[in-house]
Amino acid sequence: MGYYTGSFMSPDGRRGVSWVVPRQFLDRKPIMRRWVFLCAISLGGSAAPAVDAADESLHAAIDRLIDAQAGDAVRAPAADDAEFLRRVMLDLAGRIPTHIETSRFLDDKSSKKRDVLIDSLLAGQDYPRRMQELFHAMLMERRGDHVEWTKFLRHAFAKNLPWDQVARAMLAPDSGDENLRGAAYFLTARLTKEGAMAPVDVPGLTRDVGRLLAGVDLGCAQCHDHVSIDDYKQVDFQGLHMIFENMQSRRGDSFPAVTERVMKKDKEFQSVFTMDPRTTGLRIPGAGDVPIQTFPKGEEYSVAPDRKAKTPGVLKFSPLKELARGLAARGNPLFARNIVNRLWFVMMGRGLVEPLDLFHSANPPTHPELLERLATEFTAHDFDIKWLLGQLARSECYQRSSRLPGEGPLPDATTYAVANQKRLSAEQLFWSTMIATGEISRMKPKPGTGLEQVVAQTESLAALQKQFLKTFANPPREPEVDFAPTVKGALYLMHDEKVLELLKPRTGNLIERLSSMKDTKQAAEALFLAVVSRRPSGSDREAVERLLEKKEGVARAEAIGQLAWALLTSTEFCVNH
Amino acid sequence: MSHCRPWEHGWSRRRMLGALAAGSAAAGGAGAAGLGGLLQPAVADELARNDKQILLIWLDGGMSQLESWDPKPNTPFGGPFRSIPTTLPGIHVSELMPKLARQMKRLALVRSMKTEDANHSSGVPKIMRGHPRNRGVTYPFFGSAVAKLMGPTASGLPPYVWVKPGNGGFISKHAGFLGARYGALALGDGKPPANLVRPDSITSDADRVRQELRKKFNRQFADRRRGDFNEANSYVYDVAQTLMKHVELFDEKQLKETDRQRYGTHDLGRHALLARRLIEAGVRFVQVTSYGWDTHGDNFNSHASRMPKVDQSISALIEDLFDRGLDERVLVVVMAEFGRTPRINGSVGRDHWPNAWSVAMTGCGIRTGTVVGETLADGTDVKSTPYDIGHMFHTWFSAVGLDSAEAQYMNGTQPLPIAHDDMHKVDELLI
Repeated sequence: MGYYTGSFMSPDGRRGVSWVVPRQFLDRKPIMRRWVFLCAISLGGSAAPAVDAADESLHAAIDRLIDAQAGDAVRAPAADDAEFLRRVMLDLAGRIPTHIETSRFLDDKSSKKRDVLIDSLLAGQDYPRRMQELFHAMLMERRGDHVEWTKFLRHAFAKNLPWDQVARAMLAPDSGDENLRGAAYFLTARLTKEGAMAPVDVPGLTRDVGRLLAGVDLGCAQCHDHVSIDDYKQVDFQGLHMIFENMQSRRGDSFPAVTERVMKKDKEFQSVFTMDPRTTGLRIPGAGDVPIQTFPKGEEYSVAPDRKAKTPGVLKFSPLKELARGLAARGNPLFARNIVNRLWFVMMGRGLVEPLDLFHSANPPTHPELLERLATEFTAHDFDIKWLLGQLARSECYQRSSRLPGEGPLPDATTYAVANQKRLSAEQLFWSTMIATGEISRMKPKPGTGLEQVVAQTESLAALQKQFLKTFANPPREPEVDFAPTVKGALYLMHDEKVLELLKPRTGNLIERLSSMKDTKQAAEALFLAVVSRRPSGSDREAVERLLEKKEGVARAEAIGQLAWALLTSTEFCVNH
Repeated sequence: MSHCRPWEHGWSRRRMLGALAAGSAAAGGAGAAGLGGLLQPAVADELARNDKQILLIWLDGGMSQLESWDPKPNTPFGGPFRSIPTTLPGIHVSELMPKLARQMKRLALVRSMKTEDANHSSGVPKIMRGHPRNRGVTYPFFGSAVAKLMGPTASGLPPYVWVKPGNGGFISKHAGFLGARYGALALGDGKPPANLVRPDSITSDADRVRQELRKKFNRQFADRRRGDFNEANSYVYDVAQTLMKHVELFDEKQLKETDRQRYGTHDLGRHALLARRLIEAGVRFVQVTSYGWDTHGDNFNSHASRMPKVDQSISALIEDLFDRGLDERVLVVVMAEFGRTPRINGSVGRDHWPNAWSVAMTGCGIRTGTVVGETLADGTDVKSTPYDIGHMFHTWFSAVGLDSAEAQYMNGTQPLPIAHDDMHKVDELLI
């Protein structure tokens, strides 16, 4: 016996309806099930049918739904402790574990240690930094950076602000809130010229808001209805676009900020195919039309702008606020689906919908029921990203090995029967390199000092960080989705003097520590724990022994440097597997 | 790891290219490097045997057809320059290109180009992509398409190298939906990529040791894991090491003084000469870009100073390719995003004109000594059958041995033709 429960919210997110129905009742009455389903849609709720939330945790539901669809596909066994530790550290802390953290975890005999680790990472000091780096790359797509933006993201994830609040801060920035005002950079960074001849790309901003916050790329529907995606209409684009055409960057502040004009009338547009003149009011992805409210001249503001005091005033009808309210809302199905799909991608290496920004009816999710379940529960948990990541990390699906022993073909990536490998961001690669080579511990930071402080305080490391980001991040405006190693990156790791310096013995670094070990077995173990976060296999040990045999002093240190370089440039190190 | 994939059972050419396009395992392109585990040996051999190469000269901004391939002297729009006879009886070109006029027998010319877009920002990518039918995906530029469809040659050098003024780097956006790794390795001002030269602190022996260890660790990692990540990561190291072996390409001291003088010491001359050496070294697709052809003002003085550079360097290039027998397997294309208006504007300039312009090509099965199509007497429109860039893509793919009517990319599960499906190759241009 159980109950189906669910909740709907009105599109503006102000009214909520929760319901509980005995499971037996709906299971026996298909008509009722359909009725509930339609109600959900008409109330503006997510189109999910009844969800059994009462007796099943989300991570158990993930495994049930993934398993059901994987069918006969051969499953990889659970990842061993080392594989799991490295994966979850990279995902939730944005770096590999130190050799000390690794040995401690491997030697921990507690049966609950994985859950404990997940919780401690979510509560740990690396988490806000990792999330800031992750969301920065996801939302800004390497357009640039701003201290206020960094501060906003750091604040949002340190306080674990609900995702709807984070999104609203970006869409309708409040310059009065010192912690959140930097969110405006999401808009203002897209309102800069890309070159002397290039105009400001406002349509590009419209497109990005749809892509990144609702999972719909309306870019090709600017001048006509999308030619190959029936769901994407020109009116959707134009009704969203008019909001950004009515807005501009505010000048003269030290922080990013925007202002809006009074919106007076509907937007006129026509399709370049049919040339039919049309008009639209605001249209918000996933939420539909918002009529424009007009006021008599002189009465448009509830707080009038003051030129002398340089205050922008408060509009009675603010299109940006309407957008924020309509898009980042409980009732907006696209809003929740987009972010759960993106976080699923981050953790599982593949989106339930791919491309991540092409949600439409002809491009269904690989696991429709799962996507709805994730979206519904995420919404019900007040858009709590930390909670969702914890649930994903607890699933067997996440904790499977990326290696399938035995013979025969590997199952398709969409089965999740074998863990998918994931790209490391430039940031993950940098921090991991710092940890692996002992650069952080070499600086002997006081306990509790964050990685960033250590690097920021050391000029040479700060310069190295810049170069790493330049070398391994994608060019601006290219989503970092695929694994895309480059010749530039290879040559950098092969030949850059500053990189090579990391692999020379210096007081307190990896190479010095290993060179001081007389026992080759011990050195091999320490090397593998430090760089690839696992103990060496038999053949790994042999390789180390063969190379170090009869080498002493400088020659030994040099050979250890070669081993460390080979591990640092190996695929095992530079992907999250 | 070799585990079989659906396309390995029975492979028409269409299927094979589709498989390559799907690319999950083709990591670094369909090159000899990545093919082993992917295709049956016979197919791999077939591709490996394809030694065709492409050299694209791109005159960015839009070279004037009226001051080059399709002059209209003594007409209202003709401008001040005369036309001169060429080695092709009855065919005249602008007096600004006397050396190319002597090479006309070795060229094929299309004077009936009619394309759609008169803007630089959208026109350049449209032409570079062959302007296929819109299917909601971003198609690759010509070089990335070839990098994907043909991969590197047996040389192992990166398949798409772009020699350009200004900065270099890796330009992944050319690759469109194919994914970043099919982008261009851009050599800014012909300079080698950063960090190409091994520092003195590492001996070649030490380098060999560490690279061998890296490969060993990678083999171990890839065992019973999906192979695409490791293939991609290994591939970039292979390419980096191959490039290092060709470091002499970037040593201008090794150039013959006579070559330098023949090609010219200006940017285009130096870059065209490097392009010849890159082709000789085995790069599959080389693009040379010359900027600054957007002559809205002072069109005639601009062309008077620019055309001799094109004339000098391209004619030297064609001479060399033919003298060395490379014309048999190297396709050369000279083009821009559009031509320029016959009407001369108030600033004595010519504006953008996609309605009637010219493209030149040679080598690799192109029928030389051919002029296809003609424009009206005043040059304002095409008089014969107009050709779009899609027709050229079909023609060029055909010249390098790809059946563009059959071959497809796969974008996930979506099959995509490699050239516009309503267009076809121009038989007159092919032997």
